[in-house]
Amino acid sequence: MAALRDGEFAALQSLLKAPSKDAVRQLCQECFSSPPAGLGPLAQRACPGLTADAEEAEQLVSALHNLTRHVVYRGLTKAEDILALFPENFHQNLKNLLTKIILENISAWRNEAQASQISLPRLVDMDWRVDIKTSSDSISRMAVPTCLLQLKMQEDVALCGNSPVVSALTVELSKETLDTMLEGLGRIRDQLSAVANK
Amino acid sequence: MGLLNFTREPVPEAVTGDMHNLNQLSAQQFSSLTEVLFRFLTEPKEVERFLAQLSDFATVNKISLGPLKNIVKSILLVPNGALKRNLSSEQVRADFIALGLSEEKATYFAEQWKANSPTLTRLAVGQTLMINQLIDMEWKFGVTAGSSELEKVGSIFLQLKLVIKKGSQMENVYMELTLPQFYSFLHEMERIKTSLESFS
Repeated sequence: MAALRDGEFAALQSLLKAPSKDAVRQLCQECFSSPPAGLGPLAQRACPGLTADAEEAEQLVSALHNLTRHVVYRGLTKAEDILALFPENFHQNLKNLLTKIILENISAWRNEAQASQISLPRLVDMDWRVDIKTSSDSISRMAVPTCLLQLKMQEDVALCGNSPVVSALTVELSKETLDTMLEGLGRIRDQLSAVANK
Repeated sequence: MGLLNFTREPVPEAVTGDMHNLNQLSAQQFSSLTEVLFRFLTEPKEVERFLAQLSDFATVNKISLGPLKNIVKSILLVPNGALKRNLSSEQVRADFIALGLSEEKATYFAEQWKANSPTLTRLAVGQTLMINQLIDMEWKFGVTAGSSELEKVGSIFLQLKLVIKKGSQMENVYMELTLPQFYSFLHEMERIKTSLESFS
């Protein structure tokens, strides 16, 4: 599967008008990180000097987005593989610059992609406290330790955009429940070690 | 009637009469009735069984069920109050005597009370209010093979389902943890266990 359509590679040529290599680098990073919906505003913001009109700007930004995402998707790590994506007659220096920039960023981008994967609500924080219950309506004197556990969970990153929704759940655990839970967690740990050692 | 240990409120009038009737039972009969009562107190969910056993007792001893149930209601006032107030067996015995039960029967009941009180206390503690009690935990873990952004991923994920009792309803909470998060979660849980154990 080709990384980009022919017209898209042509759009990349606008980068030749960039003021500096850093400007190209910056633009690549922004284009990768932006979701498809954000490309329009990004084009308006970032490309005034580079392109003749709004349409060209959008094409450039879209091409960069697709190129960087394609490399990350395929997990390409070698310069030859990335260079091979470009068509034969593509501007040599620009091709080398883009390849270099992509290689510099590839592992950060890969982590970013993994972090923004869809998932169930993710555990982001955990706090606890241990209380001693000394009295209640069913028995006036006692000394029962109990644990309050607060779990903070963040909803799917993709849904929240820049304002992550974090919900907190406070749960009470008796000693017996905690022991059972630890047993279960211990079993998970054992299975994980077994898988890791295979 | 002097001050009672098991309650601050005035006792219903019928109680004195019921105690008097109890005194008429033989030691043997009182002993089997007490056994039925404590079996119910230690397993309060077994209501049907309790009523069946009372009914059998009534038949075997030729007592009418209606009056028997009233007697039982009166007797149960004492252990219920005693449990709430952490009374000693001497206090339970004193209360029964103050209500009109014979010394012999009061002593017997107080002894049974002492023998059963660890179980009864544990039950009462178990009924104590718990906020969002964790009832159950299910888990699975696996490997993410690929995603729309990454053709090959190969990372391990862990998913937990916690079943929480919110008021009278159960709520399921789902969450995902990465491997490092799982290890720190496990570490924190072990710290909690150490803390709870040091207070037990």
